Amino acid sequence: MPSGRREQVEDGQTVMDAARKVGVEIESLCGGRQSCHKCRVIVEEGHFDKHAISSSSKHLSSPTNNEITLLKKLGTPEQRLSCDAQIHGDLLITIPESSQAKKQIIRKKVTNRDVVIDPVIKQYYVTVRDAQLGVHRGDWGRLQDALETQWDLVDLSIDIHALRKLQAALRTENWSVTAIVWNNREVIDVQPGHKDSMYGLAVDVGSTTVAGYLCDLQSGNILATEALMNPQVSYGEDLMSRISFVINRADGLHLMNTAIIDSINELANRTAKLARIHPRRIHDIVLVGNTTMTHIFLGINPREIGGAPFALANRDAIDIKARDLGLRLNPGAYAHVLPSQAGHVGADNVAVLVAEQPQCLDSIILTVDIGTNAEIVLTSSKWMFSASSPTGPAFEGGQITSGMRAAPGAIERVRIDPKTKLPRFRVIGESCWSDQWQHRDNECADTKPSHLASGICGSGIIEAVAELFLAGILFPDGKFNPDIDCNAMYWDQEKRKGAYILATEDQSFSGNPILITQQDIRNIQLAKAALYAGAKLLMMRAKVEHLDQVILAGAFGSYIDPKHAMVLGLIPDCKIENVHAVGNAAGDGARIALLNRQKRAHAQDIAEQISYIETALDPDFQTEFVSAMHLPHQYDSFHNLGGILENSAVVTKVPRRTRRRRRTANN
Amino acid sequence: MNDEINLKEMGNEDILELMQEDLYDGYADEIIESIKELLSRQIPPYDILIKGLVAGMEVVGIDFRDGVLFVPEVLMAAKAMKSGMDLLRPLLAETGAPIKGTVVIGTVKGDIHDIGKNLVAMMLEGAGFDVVNLGINVSADDFIAAIEQHNADILGMSALLTTTMVYMRTVINALKDKGIRDDIIVLVGGAPLNDDFAEDIKADAYCRDAAIAVETANKFMELRKGK
Repeated sequence: MPSGRREQVEDGQTVMDAARKVGVEIESLCGGRQSCHKCRVIVEEGHFDKHAISSSSKHLSSPTNNEITLLKKLGTPEQRLSCDAQIHGDLLITIPESSQAKKQIIRKKVTNRDVVIDPVIKQYYVTVRDAQLGVHRGDWGRLQDALETQWDLVDLSIDIHALRKLQAALRTENWSVTAIVWNNREVIDVQPGHKDSMYGLAVDVGSTTVAGYLCDLQSGNILATEALMNPQVSYGEDLMSRISFVINRADGLHLMNTAIIDSINELANRTAKLARIHPRRIHDIVLVGNTTMTHIFLGINPREIGGAPFALANRDAIDIKARDLGLRLNPGAYAHVLPSQAGHVGADNVAVLVAEQPQCLDSIILTVDIGTNAEIVLTSSKWMFSASSPTGPAFEGGQITSGMRAAPGAIERVRIDPKTKLPRFRVIGESCWSDQWQHRDNECADTKPSHLASGICGSGIIEAVAELFLAGILFPDGKFNPDIDCNAMYWDQEKRKGAYILATEDQSFSGNPILITQQDIRNIQLAKAALYAGAKLLMMRAKVEHLDQVILAGAFGSYIDPKHAMVLGLIPDCKIENVHAVGNAAGDGARIALLNRQKRAHAQDIAEQISYIETALDPDFQTEFVSAMHLPHQYDSFHNLGGILENSAVVTKVPRRTRRRRRTANN
Repeated sequence: MNDEINLKEMGNEDILELMQEDLYDGYADEIIESIKELLSRQIPPYDILIKGLVAGMEVVGIDFRDGVLFVPEVLMAAKAMKSGMDLLRPLLAETGAPIKGTVVIGTVKGDIHDIGKNLVAMMLEGAGFDVVNLGINVSADDFIAAIEQHNADILGMSALLTTTMVYMRTVINALKDKGIRDDIIVLVGGAPLNDDFAEDIKADAYCRDAAIAVETANKFMELRKGK
């Protein structure tokens, strides 16, 4: 492997499992069902002195018919799907660049928002009467008396871990202690003497990224921020694959639960280290995530949300001892999980609303959080509607021929000259546009320049399709315009199927051109139509025709250019200056709920009051979905694009689509 | 709309070819016009069906598979085909034209994805099958009831989720329990499926797209009639 790692593995283990065991992540979109091809690996043949092994593809189980067909189709019959190939002997495996699950660039940063600091845990410094012979009240009884007389706290209970520490704590600083009280109900920790620092952790468990924010609960300041890849990715890329993994494997839930709990502990450790505190001093944690994630980290089988009617085990907010989840924070600490809305609109979306509060403004606001599932919320001060739309993995680079995650080397910006029809692009990790690359070639003659393109990420594909449309290369129905013939256009012999060459051989890392195929365009059309149709159905339900504002939540939303999103018809018409990206609002919402207990009650209100619409069951869904497949839309107009469409090279009229013969006067 | 063309001056074959092009473009009115013209020339309804509509939809299916046509266009074509079928259906029954077969189709229980399955249903109709579309979230009992009621030749099941596709096995097992598994051809489809899965659950075939579904249904019906 390029990692150079080696390991003895059990006979019959798949290459993918073995790679995981040695800490190398192989990309997997389908969860090991041999239907995607992202996990392809190369078997090195022959004897390798360095490793003292003879590697041969014969040491792998023979491929299934399915695998053979798939690999043939891809033109790489010599490679293997690592999820299928089982190890039966010595092997040297190379994982090609395209199959490596990379660390994503999307780093969830938190914006600063004004939050009233009113955490759910509070510190009370008390002096307790000392123990005396003949008084049998007990130390806990004496602490209760002190908390009542000095702080008016009544009916308290005490966590067993706090109780175990109590006697020593009382006697260390001459009967004065600081009690940490949760929700004015339970003493969760006692510390000798006067202490005035408290820490809490807010965690957003995303399907791909897990982000943690360590906060000072007195100042509200963020002391440290860390993000990790969600390790469940290697069990299945999308949510449904992960639910299948739980259903199909007896130990599936255990594996994924352990993986995510380990990650959260890792986040706690890392952030605590950055803040120079011990993780045991974290006394509160707030967790958000989509419904599948919350089920899994709570150790609840997500089977039921894998299919209609998508029943949640629990919709409401819950408080549970963090230690019961396996979290190694302060042993008395509670974990608070924000409420969900419905089957596939989870606590992360509630957190977005807690952070952004669109429902508190007197305007019509569409909030969308784009991922494999897009959560769509339409609000005014009077009502809240939400929906979930299955956009699929296209915006994350899945189902796109050269698609990849937003990692270094991914094309993220695209411009196409409307006259020459030729592209220029920019990749992540490189500030120069591709048309300015030439000067640099001499500098690094020996090695490949770092800026070469490896693939296209979500924001890149959105811009590419919008630009292709603006340049008249795509018809509004999404078909490549057969009248276009330029160096960047590739046609098959019959001139039936086209593809656009976004990066040439010289510009690409692999040496193969990076293409956008007709099928890629179709997949983007499906994804954007699902999102648009969802938004439109909510607008119809709310009986509104215009949007005052669009909020793009989620890390991905920050990278989308609003103009291109609208040209594509990803979101309905809205003033471009009123389309805002807010970054990881779910993480912000979690942090706000960590700092302010009222916000937790507020979150519960949102969950109860919002009207969830099952778009797939709406009788208008199919019509709306199909109309939204056009670029930007078959019927709806986009006034706020200010004539961009009209002044571009857009071909508005689709010629008659006949294949063999046109219906002309001569006929 | 029809200035350039005079149907009266065209030969039968030319009109049938024109019908295929009109279907491709989703022109319902023109389809009706052509069918009426051909009927007035005593062309058998069955020939119009096969050489006009079915042949036309085949092209649509292939171009859809290759991404040359997309969902909105295929729906338009299917609508045009349907209006033609409405005109032909009573005549086909009258003339005792052969019936190709009956398909019961639906998205399995737990899954509410509708559109892809509808496209397959339309393409099968376009290929001359009688199609009973049960919609979404269909239970094994409902599938079986419809199969029995319509005396179906083919059962088509769709699932778009890896979590729901396993229900297909439940349906097939229910068919076995009823003792009718061997009386019916079971075709399955949907994004997360593949050949191995179909084989594993003992379906007769996996169909990757609407065009292949039609092709496969035709192939199995021929085998069945050859029996």
